[in-house]
Amino acid sequence: MGKVKQKDLILYSGLIILGLAAPYLFSAFKVQLTYLCVLIVLAMTWNLQGGEMGYNSFGNILFYGLGMYLTASVQVGMFFPLAEWTESGGEKTFVHTTAQYFQGIGVGLLVAAIVPTIVAGAIGYAILGLRGHYFAICTLGLGIAAGEIAGGIEIIGAGQGFTTPPFPAEIVDPEARGQFFYFLSFLVLVLAFVFVKYIYGSRFRLILNAIRDNEDKAEAMGIQTMKYKIVGWMCSAFFCGLAGGIMGGLIGYIDSTDVAFDGREMGVFMVLMAILGGKGTLWGPIIGATLFHFFKEGLWTFILGWQYVALGVLIVVIVVYFPEGLMGWLREKYPDKFGEVIDEKDRKAQVELK
Amino acid sequence: MNKLVKLFITSISAITLALVSFTSSFAKVDGEYIVLGSAISLTGKYSSNGVHTQNGYNMAVDRINKMGGVKVGGKSYKFEIIYYDDESNPKRAAQLAERLIKQDGVHYMLGPYSSGLTKAIAPVTEKYKIPMVEANGASRSLFTKGYKYLFAVLSPANQYLEVAIDLAVEKNGGKPVRIAQAFEQDAFSQDVRLGILDAAKRTGSEIIIDDKLPKELNDMAATLAKVKATKPDVLVVSGHTKGALTAIRQISEMKVDVPMLAMTHCDAAKLSKQHGKNSEYALCASQWHKNLSYKDKFFGGGKKYDKDFKKEFGYAPPYQSAESSAALLVFKDAFERANSFDRDKVRDALKDTDMQTFYGNIKFGPGGQNVAKPMILFQVRCKGDTCENKVVAPTKWASDKFYHPIPKWSERG
Repeated sequence: MGKVKQKDLILYSGLIILGLAAPYLFSAFKVQLTYLCVLIVLAMTWNLQGGEMGYNSFGNILFYGLGMYLTASVQVGMFFPLAEWTESGGEKTFVHTTAQYFQGIGVGLLVAAIVPTIVAGAIGYAILGLRGHYFAICTLGLGIAAGEIAGGIEIIGAGQGFTTPPFPAEIVDPEARGQFFYFLSFLVLVLAFVFVKYIYGSRFRLILNAIRDNEDKAEAMGIQTMKYKIVGWMCSAFFCGLAGGIMGGLIGYIDSTDVAFDGREMGVFMVLMAILGGKGTLWGPIIGATLFHFFKEGLWTFILGWQYVALGVLIVVIVVYFPEGLMGWLREKYPDKFGEVIDEKDRKAQVELK
Repeated sequence: MNKLVKLFITSISAITLALVSFTSSFAKVDGEYIVLGSAISLTGKYSSNGVHTQNGYNMAVDRINKMGGVKVGGKSYKFEIIYYDDESNPKRAAQLAERLIKQDGVHYMLGPYSSGLTKAIAPVTEKYKIPMVEANGASRSLFTKGYKYLFAVLSPANQYLEVAIDLAVEKNGGKPVRIAQAFEQDAFSQDVRLGILDAAKRTGSEIIIDDKLPKELNDMAATLAKVKATKPDVLVVSGHTKGALTAIRQISEMKVDVPMLAMTHCDAAKLSKQHGKNSEYALCASQWHKNLSYKDKFFGGGKKYDKDFKKEFGYAPPYQSAESSAALLVFKDAFERANSFDRDKVRDALKDTDMQTFYGNIKFGPGGQNVAKPMILFQVRCKGDTCENKVVAPTKWASDKFYHPIPKWSERG
């Protein structure tokens, strides 16, 4: 790890300082910044499947929603009877003390990271044998099914939804809640980045790439592809679960299909962001998520009612003009900036051959 | 790479500057305007009701502004509303509430459409101590959270159809009835369901079908097939506008005979217009009807509101619009009584609200729900090809007698 270059060091420390200062600089935008962190985490970890492994998963929303419900359930269930909390949407009033709230969310997030990881392992074992479109459609079904099932489980509120514990009233500063969730999401973002960056320098990534480029050949070369595919998915699930847990607490109200297993929005967004920025690159999903978030927050309110049309246009533009995403486009234009050396003779020779 | 890094850093600093300069521009009271904020469903599954809500708000804003505005401290102010589209999504609604309060500097909120979205917004307004008068979140659980800044002009959802069960029992000679019910999986409809469960328990009635309907509701044939086979005394359906439309469409297609059909959202769905005779005899819960005798100086009475609304928007106002208009009357009244723009003073004034509007009496209980106004039931009745909603309960306002049982399809012309 001692190879971190000086200019990288400047970049990273700059970004971390910016990240730490952001909630104070843009105090009014804390919630949007928290969303941004979560979106980046989702895009970055989706990229592990969609970009590096070549398995387009629409099912990562499953882990996100699972994390959300688990965090809230643990946070409530540790101190109060969960069934009574959610019954008819909270007929009785229970109040968390400050200590209970933070203990609850801490343990909840831990559970929200571990359980989806295990679930990813189990489901992955069952369905990662599918390839291409079959895998994509199967995972699409997973998210939808999870939403419908969660909408029928009474103990987590069913169709009524689940109101997560309110931020402790003893903390009177109205900014505290926003800051707490921002720093929590920023921490997860940093963890996810360090982890993905580590993967990018490891043999593990090469194996994932090998699976993407030619799975049969990879298998023939003695790589146990199934094992690596499952582990890759479990890594994503870990961070998706955490992201979901944070979002549940931030939004304050969990609805089975519109908030938790929100495949129609979050599930599609994470794919879109990764593709917008350039899948299969480290910075692509990050840039994609940032641009997407700015586009969404900045533009959507000005085109009330037409925002989904605009989103559709955006998707078409990306797919037609930037099929490799922004990073891919830059890479094609300035290959030397990406450390790629082009042998002019060789390039010409290839052109002539064609 | 160096150039890229530079570009990256430059763009980040540019964005930073832009955001910092953008943050601090708006205010709660801007010149002669009192700025209210609202996230409303202009797209998504609640879009039609979202528009009803918005029209109700706009109608009241125009009327109040035209008739002298809001007088605070001897000066006259006008209302102005900042709208955002919440896409019928709770996650988006919570985010937009935050945005209205933090970025647009809104200090007073109007509610969104539907209980689910109100549930998502209430924790935010509560956190920032922003008074919110809402007109479309009826779920009972909204009023048991101890919210201090939430005020609802409507009756809680569990009261919507309870009366219908009592009515069915009465028509059955006081004997328990067999109930079939199907509810959309959302906060509001599930609360209506709880009301029915309570009523069933109270009257000793039996629930023989208890189905859940999906959110994007356009098919309930499976439930109706069961209804055909089991012949219950009452069929209860609730699923916002789409639920009402789907139910009538499929009941008439499948010729399902049931003595009593109780629903919600009939007027928002414009049932009597869209389905005409097929919707006849449907019994509907409503927060408001134009024939009620309430009055105020802004809209006159229900009939006048109905007329003015039709002139302005080209359709008869469903109760969603009426209650939304009432929300602004409540705000105006509270501002004038508080005689201040201090949020806590306005909040205290809201708490002490006790007034009559064209929509009904408004007085808030400890949880923030309106305790002064009963629900009403109307029944769709047709004369020739024109169908109308006739109030049948409670008896104080009933213009017509409740028709029971619904004639069989084979006997209907």
